[in-house]
Amino acid sequence: MFDFAIAGVEAPVFLLALVGLTVGIVGGFIGVGGGYMVTPALIVFGFPGYMASGIDMTHICGKGLVSSVRHRQLGNIDWTLALSMIAGTMLGVELGVRLLVYFKHLGISGVVLLMTSVGLMFVLFLYTQIETRRAHKQMEQMEKEGKEVGREVQTSNLPMLFQRIPLAPIIRCRTARVIVSMWVIVLVGMITGVLAGFLGVGGGFVRVPALVYVVGASTHVAVGTDLVEIVISGAYGALRHSIEGNVDMMAVLFMIVGAMFGAQIGSIATSYVRGPAIRYILSYSLILATLGAALRLVYVLTGQNVQWLSLAAVMLTLGEMLFLCLFISSLVYFAVRRRGGKWVPDWVGPLVI
Amino acid sequence: MAEIHRGRAAFKFGFWLAVSVALFGYIIHSYTSGQMIQWYYYTASLDGYAVDANLSMSATKDKPVVLNIAKQDEVKGLVAIPVAKGDRLPRNANGVISLVELKSGKRAVLEGQTIKVTVPWQIKETKGFKFKDTFKHKGIRTNPWSGAWNVAMVLCLGLSLGLLAEGFTDIMGLKLDKIQHGH
Repeated sequence: MFDFAIAGVEAPVFLLALVGLTVGIVGGFIGVGGGYMVTPALIVFGFPGYMASGIDMTHICGKGLVSSVRHRQLGNIDWTLALSMIAGTMLGVELGVRLLVYFKHLGISGVVLLMTSVGLMFVLFLYTQIETRRAHKQMEQMEKEGKEVGREVQTSNLPMLFQRIPLAPIIRCRTARVIVSMWVIVLVGMITGVLAGFLGVGGGFVRVPALVYVVGASTHVAVGTDLVEIVISGAYGALRHSIEGNVDMMAVLFMIVGAMFGAQIGSIATSYVRGPAIRYILSYSLILATLGAALRLVYVLTGQNVQWLSLAAVMLTLGEMLFLCLFISSLVYFAVRRRGGKWVPDWVGPLVI
Repeated sequence: MAEIHRGRAAFKFGFWLAVSVALFGYIIHSYTSGQMIQWYYYTASLDGYAVDANLSMSATKDKPVVLNIAKQDEVKGLVAIPVAKGDRLPRNANGVISLVELKSGKRAVLEGQTIKVTVPWQIKETKGFKFKDTFKHKGIRTNPWSGAWNVAMVLCLGLSLGLLAEGFTDIMGLKLDKIQHGH
């Protein structure tokens, strides 16, 4: 146990590092900050809600940078895409925060926030799951026919639709291998920024699917590029939280130590899998987070009287972290086996390289 | 796997290890020496009495904790030091009992030259979770520069740890190739 003088609580250092490690693995793999997982965990450890949010946001900024360094080495960052999106993201975050303040003023921010989270994440889960299953089947077919399967297989027609918009300036994103109107990228940044600012999260779980299904980037590039956005929006959030006095740097420090190892595992793991495998993990992460948010919504709508709902939401969130880490580890394990010419389950084969 | 220059990898690892250790040492020293805490409990954000909230945590309505109002530079024992909005907080103060709180009399009452704390804890709800709320952290304003310091430190840490890990995998011979997207 460590006495966190600023947060005013005693909390287990080992568990903080463990949370950093697990969220580092998941975040490095699917390109999300993991705020929806870390904040409840910190509250369970005894941190007040405002401190949990502040510590989470500051740690996300550092962890995002650790992951970004590795994704840069793997060539997963498209700087043109990242830089074009920044202005839209920042503007969107500010708009989102103002929208939240407006709903707070109306006294319905909690319910609106949870309903938006549940609705949005469920729609994203459905679309990602359906599209990824289609891509998975296509890859299985290609393998059966003896055709070479690339690192990315995507079956959505949406990117072509958006890439046809002839609004100047048209920019070329070399790493993502995409030619698209800059306004599409700015708009993606702005809309995901509004959601991030409104929901109080980094926005990775919206931005990664948006980069894949709207801009047309490959999943790996979407993950790497999104992490750069997370560093920037995380730094802004960390500054705001720090000025408000919501950050205990020692807690951040312990979490970053865990995240350093986790981010390496998660980032390097992306080089062992094909795009659809990352999208599968993203979609499972979305549905589990949706269930957690739905439980919290029912808890709020029932006047916060049914205590087990709140506990179940926390348990689900913590279980989700463990499940996703095991899923990612097993994919890497099977990828290594496959490279060695050993047996792997049929459904895993097309997902790994 | 890309070609690995062991000497360069060892230098990279050593350099970023030194930077990371220096950053860790500096942050831990700033925390344990009390510098960060002084930045945190920087000024009063409202009019009231600066206190050491930890000392009143055992208070109940039957057995209130009595704080003596005194004008001094440091909170020592059961004292409450009057502060105005914007005043630098005295040493060891970790919260401010506001005049508004005292007027309402729900958790603390002003009686002559003493403050009687009767309810130090209250249960608050946030994002569907419950947590205990005390006078600690209340009525304070953090040094805004500490925010910039926090962000600078966390960015430096992220960068140094990221490059340290990269150096480590280089030494271990795990230097990774860039993925050729679209091929």
